[in-house]
Amino acid sequence: MNLSGVLIPFVPLLGFIINGLGFPKVSKRWAAWIGCGSVFISFLIASVLFIQSLTGSFESTTISLFDWIVAGNINVGFSFFIDHLTLIMLMIVTGVGFLIHVYSVGYMHDDEGFGKFFSYMNLFIFFMLVLVMGANFVMMFIGWEGVGLCSYLLIGFWWKNREYSAAANKAFIMNRIGDLGFILGIFLMFITFGSSDFDKVFAGSSAFATNDHVMVAITLLLFIGAIGKSAQIPLYTWLPDAMAGPTPVSALIHAATMVTAGVYMVARSNILYSIAPISLEVVTVVGLATAVLSALIAITQSDIKKVLAYSTVSQLGYMFVAEGSSAYSSGIFHLMTHAFFKALLFLGAGSVIHALHHEQNLRKMGGLRKLLPVTFITMFAATLAISGFPPFAGFFSKDEILVATYEKSPAVFWILAATSVLTAAYMFRLLFLTFYGEYRGGHHQHEHIHESPRVMTVPLMILAVLSTLGGFLGLPALFGDTHWLSHYLEPVFAANTRLTEHSESSLLEIMIVVLTVIVIAVIWWWCNEKYVKKKVAPAIVEDQLPLWYKLSYNKFYVDEIYDRVIIKPLEWMGDFFYGKFEANVIDGAVNGLGRMTVWLSGQLRKIQTGNIGFYVLSMVIGIVLLLIYGLSKMNLF
Amino acid sequence: MNLLISLTALGVVAMFGGILKFRSMVMPLSVLGLIGASLLGVYAWNTNQSFLNDMMRMDNYAIAFSIVCMAGTLLTILFFHFFHSENEIHYAEAVALMLFAVAGCAVMVSFTNLLMLFLGIEILSLSLYVLAGLRKKDLLSNESSLKYFLMGAFSTGFLLFGIALLYGATGSFATTQIAYQLGIAGMNGMAAMGLLLLMIGLLFKVAAVPFQFWTPDVYQGAPTIVTAFMATVGKVAAFAAFLRLFQLCFAPSKEGYQLVIGTVAAITMLAGNIMAIYQSSTKRMLAYSSIAHAGYMLIAVMTLNASSNGSILFYSVAYTLASISSFLIVMVVQQNRNNDTADDFNGLGKTNPWIAFALAVSMLSLSGIPATAGFFGKFYVFSSAVSDGFIWVVAVAVISSFISIYYYFRPVIAAYSKQTHDPVMTMPAGTQALLILLSLLTILLGILPGFIAGII
Repeated sequence: MNLSGVLIPFVPLLGFIINGLGFPKVSKRWAAWIGCGSVFISFLIASVLFIQSLTGSFESTTISLFDWIVAGNINVGFSFFIDHLTLIMLMIVTGVGFLIHVYSVGYMHDDEGFGKFFSYMNLFIFFMLVLVMGANFVMMFIGWEGVGLCSYLLIGFWWKNREYSAAANKAFIMNRIGDLGFILGIFLMFITFGSSDFDKVFAGSSAFATNDHVMVAITLLLFIGAIGKSAQIPLYTWLPDAMAGPTPVSALIHAATMVTAGVYMVARSNILYSIAPISLEVVTVVGLATAVLSALIAITQSDIKKVLAYSTVSQLGYMFVAEGSSAYSSGIFHLMTHAFFKALLFLGAGSVIHALHHEQNLRKMGGLRKLLPVTFITMFAATLAISGFPPFAGFFSKDEILVATYEKSPAVFWILAATSVLTAAYMFRLLFLTFYGEYRGGHHQHEHIHESPRVMTVPLMILAVLSTLGGFLGLPALFGDTHWLSHYLEPVFAANTRLTEHSESSLLEIMIVVLTVIVIAVIWWWCNEKYVKKKVAPAIVEDQLPLWYKLSYNKFYVDEIYDRVIIKPLEWMGDFFYGKFEANVIDGAVNGLGRMTVWLSGQLRKIQTGNIGFYVLSMVIGIVLLLIYGLSKMNLF
Repeated sequence: MNLLISLTALGVVAMFGGILKFRSMVMPLSVLGLIGASLLGVYAWNTNQSFLNDMMRMDNYAIAFSIVCMAGTLLTILFFHFFHSENEIHYAEAVALMLFAVAGCAVMVSFTNLLMLFLGIEILSLSLYVLAGLRKKDLLSNESSLKYFLMGAFSTGFLLFGIALLYGATGSFATTQIAYQLGIAGMNGMAAMGLLLLMIGLLFKVAAVPFQFWTPDVYQGAPTIVTAFMATVGKVAAFAAFLRLFQLCFAPSKEGYQLVIGTVAAITMLAGNIMAIYQSSTKRMLAYSSIAHAGYMLIAVMTLNASSNGSILFYSVAYTLASISSFLIVMVVQQNRNNDTADDFNGLGKTNPWIAFALAVSMLSLSGIPATAGFFGKFYVFSSAVSDGFIWVVAVAVISSFISIYYYFRPVIAAYSKQTHDPVMTMPAGTQALLILLSLLTILLGILPGFIAGII
């Protein structure tokens, strides 16, 4: 293990600098090469390390570059930490990131901000790598903030559209709320452990009793950060709006990598969470509620990207449920498979949108199966994967989560299983509305629809392979293998002495397999009846909808409630403090102080009369006072 | 000692320059001589030699402050040379007086005997009295000179009386003896009275409130170049002597009088800054500003700890750089626009961008904005006071720094955001280059303060 690991984040940073400073002088061709190439180099380095870790010649290391913040007792090093968990994240971020970069070359080809786009994307990769490679929570926070910034920049990439910049603002502000929790958690860590270095914090935590209130506070504060970044209740509403950004951004940032930062963070801090089972319960409840709620919303949305966005929120909920059940490696497993199939889904949706000239409404799609064969087949694989159809990737990761929750609480298991049914339902609805039946757009458009270029379809194919086979990295015992991924991650959780062992029940797994197959078959039949034979398109006239549909279609009015309960009162307070309080009280005080000083100056200068006699008299008075004061101070009176 | 001898010789030579008609040689000779004397000082670094029966000692403190004073004198002489007119009758004599004054400074900062202290102060003061009246036919210049002399004489009485009382209490003029005797016998009434009277005399020299009365009148009446000299070289030497006296003689009993100095410092900062606000003449405003800066520097005298010497030295350098250039800019403005109110700086950023830059840098430095030397000057002084627990003094200092921004920024705002129809300002060759050099030095010290701060 040498310093080459340090290069992983800095190569994309170099790409950002070149493309960012060079824009728009660097030609599109070069911008694409630099943008994709820099991420590919990082991917290669990460791969070398990963292969070393498989052959056993790898040890987890901390690389300290320099002391960064030194103040009093606090010392924060600019240092990186690489272990098996980091390596998995590095492979996902650079691998999936690279594929999405390549895809963007085709997707963004006609955009005038091409070079700018790639510089932002590279900057994002840099910060994401800092996030997963940081050796202390402060470094993680840098990456955390940096990816937030890039997310903001890329959501508002087409900033001339006011709605898009509003969406960017919303994402940024919602994330601030979570970040506040995160940074307070870091402060509390400094107070408790005197450091934010992983090794010191985790070592120091072993002295605390289970559910010690400080540990509960730290873990809950960190989780607030995760709620913001990973779009959980109550801060999830920014993510659907974030779909305003270009589709590759949605795939990379708002599906595969950034939004999973919270999941990574909880897994990284597993020792802390295991000390605070109360926090784990909070994680479970929040994850579960989010998974259910957003699946319910996804089932009626008519914007293809909105469906995928709510699906992402729902799947992130799954990951948190897994971590809440102490199945940290299952959470990471689902993070990985989700990165494959959700990136694929977004890129496939992007391919559809690209073909239809920026049409995102499912109502105006349909029958694209023949016209976009590659997109269809790959998205079909991804749909099977996310629905948990065996043996696609999502089946194994969801299966692990379900088994883990069953041990903890059957109630959670059943709710989560029902959510899986919902997941399959909304995904097949999307698939049928897009690709089956007849085309519902204009005739004129129909003739212009053609499959996306190679540079876009090849990444789709690679991701389809990963979505199909990725699950075999975590085959359960029932199928003969022994959870390769969780064994690979074992060293990460080895220090966690309070981790509960998971037992496996073959019966439960067989039940899950059978149920999944039956449920998906039923859904298939149902979708076929409804969307192909009856040609039902999503409704538009709200008045005729049943109540549950209306609620779901309008996202349970959460945005409106936030507006009434939080935003309106805040605006009112702002108006009050700006209009009344500042104008009268603050300005009055400040200007009054200023006027008083100037007035005082006008009075004081009058003692400067120019008359020597007066000067001497004043000085003598001063001398007498000074002598009295001085002698009394020296106790000589 | 060689340094002192060469300075005096230089002064004598310059004086004869006027009589024997080799005026054109005076400036180059003085510049070379001052550089040579500074090199002698550098050569004597770390030698710590005593002279004249232990009446003075050229330690690093003395050398450092001598060099600062000589550098200030060098700049003043250069600018005086740039700006002097052909019919300036007393050109050589003025240069000679400045050289004598700086010789006095060298004595003041190296004394180890109260008589030498007195001698140094008088050499400096007498030269300054005459310099203030350099414009013989200018009524204001005459008034300035006379007022300075009268009030200076008044304060000298206190100084001498203080020395006499200390002699009575300890039987010696030597600082080592005084410290030794005070250490044995403790502070008695006579010694305390002597200490306070000496303090009063020195507070007058540094122009602290309530002994500041002479400053605005004298500074405004004297020729601007002389004002720059008094406000920088004179003040630095007075502070160096003040601090040296208290470090050598009275440091152990500082608890007794610290609060007295602290109170004077607080009043001085507040009064100086507040009174400066109302001044329409920038030159007079700078006079009040110099009073305020005396207040800041008094904080370092008050704390009287290990870091006081270094922080006063840094402050002196920062203050000298910024003050000389701001007085010079005022002089340029006076010559071009016949007045020096804030309005006369209008549009300077357009007409003379480099002069405006130098103005901005020196004003920022005087008000203590980071990335200028003035910031670190204040930082060192304030932080040593905070570490000794004088939070309230620092609070007053910070508040008065706020106030000072009001008037320091006035000419800068005029220079950059107001318009003018007046022509581009003209000035003697070399002035602009020297002003830019001073600004760059100010910024350099604001970025790398370690060069000077830790030297003594």
